[in-house]
Amino acid sequence: MTSEGSIDRMFSARWSRRRFIGRSLGAGVAIAGLGPLLEACAKATVANVNPFPLGSPQHPVLWPISKDNKPIASGLTPESNATLKIYNYPDYLDIPTAVTNFEKQYKQYNVTVEISTFNDINEALAKLRTGEVDFDLFVPSYDSIGKLVYGNFLLPLTHSYIPNISQVWAQFTNPFYDQQWRYTVPYTIYTTGIGWRSDKVSEDISLRTNPYDVFWDPIYSSKIAVLDDYREAITMVMLRNGITDILTGNAKTLNLVSTQLTDMISKTNPKVNITDYQDIPDGTTNVSQAWSGDMINAQYNMPAGQSPSVLRYWYPKNGKGAVNQDIFVILRAGKNPVLSHLWLNYMLDLKNAKSNAAFTGYQTPHNGIDPNTMVSDGTIPPNLASVVVLPQYFNEGYRELELSPAVDTAWHNVWQQFKAGG
Amino acid sequence: MSEVSLERGRLPVAPSSERRSPLYRFLPSRSNPWRRPVMLETITWLYLLWSILPVGLAVLFSFNAGRSRTAWQGFSLRWYFIDPAGSVWNDPTLRDALFQTLKLAVITTVIAVPIGVIFAIGVDRWRGRLPAVFNFQMLVSFVIPEIIVGVALLFVFTQLTTFIPLGTPAQVIGLVTFQLSFPVVIVRARLLSIGSQYEEAAMDLGASPVQAVRRVLLPMLWPAIFASAVLVFADVIDDFVIVRALSAELSSETMSVKIYNGARSTATPALNALATIMLVISIVAVVLGFFVYRRMTRDDNLGGGAALDQFAAQL
Amino acid sequence: MAEREAARAAPKRPARGVLYPRWLWPAFATPGMLWLALFFLLPLYVVLSIAFGTLDPVFRSPIPVWNPLNWDPSQFQFIFGHLIGDAGFFGPPMLRTFAYVIAASLVALVVGYPVAYFVARFAGRRRVLFLVLLLAPFCVSYMMRMLAWVNLLEVDGLVNHTLGIFGVTPVAWLSGQPITVVLGLVYGYIPYMILPLYAGLDRIDNSLLEAARDLGAGRFSTFRRVTLPMSRPAILTGLLIVSLPMFGDYFTNDLLSGSPRTSMLGNLINTAVSTPGEAAEGAAFVLLLFALLIPPMVYYARSTSRRSMVEA
Repeated sequence: MTSEGSIDRMFSARWSRRRFIGRSLGAGVAIAGLGPLLEACAKATVANVNPFPLGSPQHPVLWPISKDNKPIASGLTPESNATLKIYNYPDYLDIPTAVTNFEKQYKQYNVTVEISTFNDINEALAKLRTGEVDFDLFVPSYDSIGKLVYGNFLLPLTHSYIPNISQVWAQFTNPFYDQQWRYTVPYTIYTTGIGWRSDKVSEDISLRTNPYDVFWDPIYSSKIAVLDDYREAITMVMLRNGITDILTGNAKTLNLVSTQLTDMISKTNPKVNITDYQDIPDGTTNVSQAWSGDMINAQYNMPAGQSPSVLRYWYPKNGKGAVNQDIFVILRAGKNPVLSHLWLNYMLDLKNAKSNAAFTGYQTPHNGIDPNTMVSDGTIPPNLASVVVLPQYFNEGYRELELSPAVDTAWHNVWQQFKAGG
Repeated sequence: MSEVSLERGRLPVAPSSERRSPLYRFLPSRSNPWRRPVMLETITWLYLLWSILPVGLAVLFSFNAGRSRTAWQGFSLRWYFIDPAGSVWNDPTLRDALFQTLKLAVITTVIAVPIGVIFAIGVDRWRGRLPAVFNFQMLVSFVIPEIIVGVALLFVFTQLTTFIPLGTPAQVIGLVTFQLSFPVVIVRARLLSIGSQYEEAAMDLGASPVQAVRRVLLPMLWPAIFASAVLVFADVIDDFVIVRALSAELSSETMSVKIYNGARSTATPALNALATIMLVISIVAVVLGFFVYRRMTRDDNLGGGAALDQFAAQL
Repeated sequence: MAEREAARAAPKRPARGVLYPRWLWPAFATPGMLWLALFFLLPLYVVLSIAFGTLDPVFRSPIPVWNPLNWDPSQFQFIFGHLIGDAGFFGPPMLRTFAYVIAASLVALVVGYPVAYFVARFAGRRRVLFLVLLLAPFCVSYMMRMLAWVNLLEVDGLVNHTLGIFGVTPVAWLSGQPITVVLGLVYGYIPYMILPLYAGLDRIDNSLLEAARDLGAGRFSTFRRVTLPMSRPAILTGLLIVSLPMFGDYFTNDLLSGSPRTSMLGNLINTAVSTPGEAAEGAAFVLLLFALLIPPMVYYARSTSRRSMVEA
């Protein structure tokens, strides 16, 4: 399924859209409409509806390059007087420094960088699909690559413009999710764990046999939060139960997750948000599921006069937790392909990456950044040593990779049930 | 109800002893109907305190010198314009929100009021089933949950008319749709009380029908038109559901959307400052509206209270 | 008034020979009708086409089906299949919506009625002042009024500080407390309750009350036998004006709770619409809400238009 030939065949077959919709809808409707009875069969239908390969370390993907979407030629002159449009999460790029310096560096072409933002990836994909936007660059997570390639949104990269790829960890120069980095370069890496303030919580959560249990511990009732992100929250419940296949569409597993999420509501009444980087430092929530990068940011949100040394973050020491990354891609609809390549190269440069990371809080996988020395060289305070993303995490940890549409539907159903209040 | 006199704005008749029934003094005193209603007055003041105090405190904290929205750290205009990064004036997202709000309010008013006014005249004078249906729908839009309109329009703009982009154009269309009922209902109420005799008199004197509308009817409608414009403007400033549903990028988010996004996260009083600015804009619009309205209707011999009453009745 | 009705009833009015051209009034009404047809009625059809439509298999965005003959009812089957029983996860938020809306509307009535009654009947010379104060909340945006309460109800906010004086341990008001949500709704919508109540009570002729008094009725029995019955239409209007919009409210809940434990129908719609694969379900919920509210909305519109006729 994942060999290049078969994918090319799949793409070249150019299924009639109508037939394709009809077929997969049969499955989709069955899952949605006939309810629990058919949920057990969901897994069987997955294979039928999966329209693109789902990359994983065991099954690397080499995305096809279609004939009508060739990479640009090498050595072209950058576009002049252009507006380079970047589509990104808010506060996820150091506009004052990174953007300004890029504009300065390419002053002779009079480039202006314009940032538009989205709040979640679905909103972004929906916007791209309208075909009315001409963003040049986009920052998705790797769990959207299949959809983006399938939908023909991406411009294949011309490697000669991006020599700085050599500066990132080797595993990202030919990643499983995009062999030969045909479409993507890495942006940030992060883990998902638990954050708290040691002065607000009387125990050291990291010492628990199963730290994920805090989310069900009534002593934190109404003072706890989980991330408003269905992948992160459901994955957390799976990891709590020792389920390491965090990409499963298994009905039994999802039922278990659903039951435990409902149980969580009655035991701890959690808030569901993505403001961990504010709420933990200001004490609004005592314990929160948290992203590593957000905990770095949390330092700057401590109330005046309070030391950030009370901040704590737990991620399994053995690396067996949720670890993920975001990527940069060039959109086909963009008007400035050459400048876009120059931007990618610019962002992969160690100096720029470091300064950007200092702003966003999110680590980048650069060779020049030694995660083992980030604490000793003062980049990261000792109390937050656990936010460092070590290279081996990507071998030992669990990645939230792209789900097939049918499995994704099943996950969304679990999440909807949780959000409905059980 | 129709037999009841509808004289408005009249002060309750003050109790005067000579008008009391002679038997009155023999009734137990607790049934004195004109006794000062202490309980009711207390409830009213408590209600007013409850309704106004929290907002007052929120306004107060917009002047806080520190970052807290709950602990007073001294007076300052920091969150309005002094703070170089976080103040309403210097934070581009908050400043954009301010301008976007005003932009939507002005454009919506300019579109909704004329359409609404001529619609009201047309529907009022044209008797039949079709206008009755639309008139009915106007009234429904006063109570329909906004989310129904917002979601329906979102689907239209994303599925059907994709040439109308989300953001300002879509927001204006949504707001006009939702606000159209203000001018229609207010102008219709006025039309009903004016009757058609003035235009008919004008036409008797040789005016064409269009002239009669333009030179006789319209001048009589000005106060109602003006009042509805003020209300549309003030209501758009406060609108949340439609504006949020049809917003595109960050720059198309208005002040109320910023407050919604930030209330549970961003911790600075800049949000309170933003809310206070909204409050001031609304108050200025409504107070100005009231005085102009009163000037326009001074021929109607309304006292201040009665004019306010009437103005309020249009809200 | 009577003549006017008679005039309306008369088929044509050749009085003094002036007639409007037939096209004049329809021409006036046309832009507004077109606008509403395009942006109010048509959208409802789009919602239907999406609720009964299909999904893009990859991006799971909705694909509307315009032809009613091809409509697929599976979204409604899904919703109704999950209302009750073991998998009935839509049941609790539905019930909650009704419970919160009814509770909040009744509290608003119980608090609002005495206030409106006092201002309409007893405010005397201070009536302008009271009216201004009652109208003040209309100038304050809903979001700001909620923000004000968010600030006060924070764990270290003023409410907990005040309660702390009496030895009450801090309460996490903003973490999924139904009481906070209900009182938030009351606070948000009560001005819309008081205004129609005030207008209705103000309209009651004093001479009726005087007559009751002269006939020996005490204050309470005057209220119970004259004022209350006469203000019944205003009460009904007030209840409808506050409760109907509350059914679609999601922001009060988001701001004052943020916990799934208090999710309402509006929250379900708000999340579904922006979640891949659930837009059609969101559309179905919108239709259900609309269908549910049609009878009260029609009732409201009919009684209001009848009343405005009477007033004129």
